[in-house]
Amino acid sequence: MGLLFLLAALDGLAYAAQVFLVAVGLTLVFGVLKILNVAHGSLFAIGAYLASTLVGLVGVPWLSLLALAMAALAVGVVLGPVIERGLLARIYEKEHVLQLLVTFALLMILEDVQKLVWGVQPLFEDAPVRLLGQVEVGGIVYTVYQLLLLPGVALLVLVVLAWFLRRTLLGRTIVAVTHDREAAEAIGIDSRRVYLLTFTIGAALAAMGGALAAPTTSLVPGIGVQTIVLSFAVVATAGLGRIEGAAATALLIGLGRSFAVYFTPELEVVVPYLLMVAVLLVRPAGLFGSTELRRV
Amino acid sequence: MLSLARVEVAIAGARILRGVDLAVPAGGRVALVGRNGAGKTTTFRAIMGLLPLVAGSVRFDGTELAGLPAHRRTALGIGYAPEDRRLFPTFTVEENVRLPAEVLGLPAAELRARLERVWELLPELVELRDRRAGALSGGQGKMAALARALVTGTRLLLLDEPFQGLAPALARRYGEILARLVERERSLALLVSESNPELLAPFVDTIATIERGEILSAAG
Ligand SMILES: Nc1ncnc2c1ncn2[C@@H]1O[C@H](COP(=O)(O)OP(=O)(O)OP(=O)(O)O)[C@@H](O)[C@H]1O
Ligand SMILES: [Mg+2]
Repeated sequence: MGLLFLLAALDGLAYAAQVFLVAVGLTLVFGVLKILNVAHGSLFAIGAYLASTLVGLVGVPWLSLLALAMAALAVGVVLGPVIERGLLARIYEKEHVLQLLVTFALLMILEDVQKLVWGVQPLFEDAPVRLLGQVEVGGIVYTVYQLLLLPGVALLVLVVLAWFLRRTLLGRTIVAVTHDREAAEAIGIDSRRVYLLTFTIGAALAAMGGALAAPTTSLVPGIGVQTIVLSFAVVATAGLGRIEGAAATALLIGLGRSFAVYFTPELEVVVPYLLMVAVLLVRPAGLFGSTELRRV
Repeated sequence: MLSLARVEVAIAGARILRGVDLAVPAGGRVALVGRNGAGKTTTFRAIMGLLPLVAGSVRFDGTELAGLPAHRRTALGIGYAPEDRRLFPTFTVEENVRLPAEVLGLPAAELRARLERVWELLPELVELRDRRAGALSGGQGKMAALARALVTGTRLLLLDEPFQGLAPALARRYGEILARLVERERSLALLVSESNPELLAPFVDTIATIERGEILSAAG
């Protein structure tokens, strides 16, 4: 029982780390663009597939971690600007329903592109996990990759992002546009540039979530959709637009899901959504949200 | 310095400004007076480039601003305090005030000088510098919004209903600050809107009346 408990906690932590990376990008992008980007899940999936391919290509185990980072960066700086400038910039003034449909269509398109490029056979490439080896914690042999690397990267992203948004001028322009786009423009902030920058960061974070998840699981079509649905749950539970909130909620939902896996497996899939519904019934604006102030 | 000629603006398909003519010379202090819904805020937003012109022109120092994006206008020396303050609530007062100067990329000395000017004119803000803007009272927020506009408004200051919602004592204080500012900076141009023109009398020289999107009169 004790071992099972520990195992559930470790799994939950690793899982929460992945979920956080995706959800934080989603919430950051929503805060600025005011568009709930359904295609965020595709960026996760493409990041995962590209990471697997790159890891396979470099062959050398000690370069495999670098390959993961390169995959995330490549998706962010290539697909990010293409999608924001080419597609989203055309629909900022449109109704929310239309925006949702457009990003949903993009999700479907990218899902097909992904099937075209990588096929439908499961892809498994765990060189980065093997590279880092295993350790024993409390009688359980666990991979260093999941025990330390995933939570470590998530924590680093949280700290760096919070610092960037609060302490740097560029970060503050993002927060200002999140609060009030027109007021930001009126004091000299180029909101188009902020949109582009934010979407690129968000895309890179989604892809990083995918790249880091790739070595721990078989990649199959549909992981993008699965991810976006779970991220919505996290972001809605946290309250849209809050990055620390996304971290705490990812932890809650990650742990909740993994405990369900071990103790009530039949509920595994629904636990995140049960948590979401329970929270939203009590606090409609989310755990960390407030209806009047939207913070980053 | 600032001149609007036959400015027409539409919001959501409805024509809101219908040929607005307005001039604010260097050192001019112009009041834009009109009832609720007359088009005062819309005029300010048009000047700042926050709404596109359907027709007409907005010139600053003789240069047409129509094609200039809103975010490039503060660099001309224009500062704008919107009517509902619109501070960034999670930033401190100082962060709110500094931000417009920082995004301009001013040299450190110039940035310091601009902030000095603001703190000196609004000493009551100094002790509130580290307070989050979201935690300010309405009156304090108005002062902070004025401060933020002053940082870039070295040549033209646009104040949309600065007295609205201020308790009488605060309104008097706000008026004193403006009077001191225009006294000290003779070439600063000021455009200030108000539904109650009496409050503006001490420091304006021209009153322009706006009604249903048209300027009725501009009297000295
Ligand atoms: N976003 C909008 N959508 C539709 N109509 C608008 C919008 N903003 C303003 N209007 C209309 O434009 C007209 C002028 O509004 P504006 O805000 O410029 O008036 P104002 O003189 O500033 O009024 P107030 O004293 O209430 O601030 C009003 O009739 C208003 O209903
Ligand atoms: Mg108004």
